[in-house]
Amino acid sequence: MQIAVSGGKGGTGKSTIAINLAIALRNYFDLTLADLDVEAPNDHILLGIELQNEEPVELFMPRFDYSKCIRCRKCAEVCEEHAIVTMRDGTPFLMPTLCSGCGACQIVCPVEGAILEGKKLMGHTYLTETPYGFPLITGKLLEGEERAMPIVVAAKKKAKALNKELLIVDTAAGTSNTVSKALEDSQLIIAVTEPTPLGLHDLELILKLAETMGIKAWVVINRSDLGKKDDVKELAKRYNTRIIAEIPYSENILKTYIEGKPIVLSEYKEAEIFKKLAEEVANYLR
Amino acid sequence: MQIVIASGKGGVGKSTVAASLIYLIKDKYKLIAVDADADAPNLHLLFGVNKWEEEKELTGAKVARINQDTCIRCGICYERCPYESIKLVDGKYVVNELTCEGCGVCKLVCPVRGTITLEEVRSGVIMKTTTRYGFPLISAQLDVGRPNSGKLVTEEKEWAKKIMKERELDHMIVDSAAGIGCQVIASVGGADVAILVAEPTPASLSDVKRVYKVVQHFREPAYLIINKADINPGFEGLYEFAEQEGIPILGEIPYDRAIPYSMAMLKPFVEAFPESKASKALKEIAEAVENEILE
Repeated sequence: MQIAVSGGKGGTGKSTIAINLAIALRNYFDLTLADLDVEAPNDHILLGIELQNEEPVELFMPRFDYSKCIRCRKCAEVCEEHAIVTMRDGTPFLMPTLCSGCGACQIVCPVEGAILEGKKLMGHTYLTETPYGFPLITGKLLEGEERAMPIVVAAKKKAKALNKELLIVDTAAGTSNTVSKALEDSQLIIAVTEPTPLGLHDLELILKLAETMGIKAWVVINRSDLGKKDDVKELAKRYNTRIIAEIPYSENILKTYIEGKPIVLSEYKEAEIFKKLAEEVANYLR
Repeated sequence: MQIVIASGKGGVGKSTVAASLIYLIKDKYKLIAVDADADAPNLHLLFGVNKWEEEKELTGAKVARINQDTCIRCGICYERCPYESIKLVDGKYVVNELTCEGCGVCKLVCPVRGTITLEEVRSGVIMKTTTRYGFPLISAQLDVGRPNSGKLVTEEKEWAKKIMKERELDHMIVDSAAGIGCQVIASVGGADVAILVAEPTPASLSDVKRVYKVVQHFREPAYLIINKADINPGFEGLYEFAEQEGIPILGEIPYDRAIPYSMAMLKPFVEAFPESKASKALKEIAEAVENEILE
């Protein structure tokens, strides 16, 4: 089983909810938490732990053996990213930053061994055992690299390979194809929003994506007392989804967030909100 | 001059700060605003924009399609797709268009010619309007589940440059997306100056360091604004980072619970609550931007 925490807008509290939900859900399921916000991964910081077991994510990058290359230009023609340019005589050159690593050039090359396997480091994945009884998988894109997709794919694969009863995925902001990659195969999306026109605007995008993907979505309104909830309720109704929790603005949540001590384990009353949410999710999945 | 506002982490106040700074300098400088968060564009909401004067559809994104009538179900495309975007559904191989990167590997490895095609699809739309404050705003909306948002940002900036030329504008202010990927690289690339916005939390510090590396990559001077500056007293991380890297701090904005209400009013914060402490800080920062960056 798989659930995802997403929401469209950045900074609405996705990671806070993901880590607290994971801790609360460990009482129901054997689980893995995957931080697939590979451009800005923060779950480990909120859990107060250091990332471990680093593994590089490398992509294929063509390396030309010019002694074998017949200057046919097929590699350049097939490259959808226009990452291969050719000289007047057909000699190919790679512009590494444009290369997506798909390997199409190697497939199309008519001469065996003219395009060799080069490697390009795109980022890393991490497998960290948390003190809370479940592993955290993290994907981290290398600064300066543009393509988040290969890291999302690699990290998700690694998380799935742990083969736990439940996978909880924390996604990036937005609704691009890397977010849909993270959401893919989920039975439920927890869409976290804030009751502002900005939160509302982006919530609608994620609900639209959930609908397109045929995945059920529930809405969590974070900082629910700072803004207008009615608009969120109306939108949720329009998309036929439930508002499953409302979390008021809380200094306690902020404090535990900063200290890297998950609030669900604290004595603060807000812990109950996350326990209740976990119970709802568990009931839904069972 | 082209100024980019970035933060790495989402929700630290990029758009809030951008809208207020633009509001404060708009009468003195001839500028255009660009919302480069095509995934989740919000800047127009803060300027109360409710209609667009002009919209351009952006095509160019490609997705693979499999013709089921000629497919021999060999599964080679399924095995070779680098992004695992081909699924086996009821005995048929189908492309998940919401995760496809359009690389064309499936088409190349397919043994039956013409069975897999790459088709151009709409990736999103770019919009232009004139705000009620008189300056133009360019925004974009990526269609859900589409790649290529970096290209969308590049198109936005090209359009903005054209308008700058036509209307003899001097400055472009780009509000970038969260993260450090293609959209952000397209936003930061070509800028003259980067203004980084961070809040005093470990998560924001970690992310602003990452986006600063992207800024360094383009060798652009950077400045830092600390937002929600008083939410975590005693946190020194941002100061240490700024000092270590020699990044001037333009100012600090205290947390203000009225910010969501200014959003509900569809106004920049400084316009909605001009007398608040946060607005005073924003005004000082606007002055610093004028003196240190624009002059």
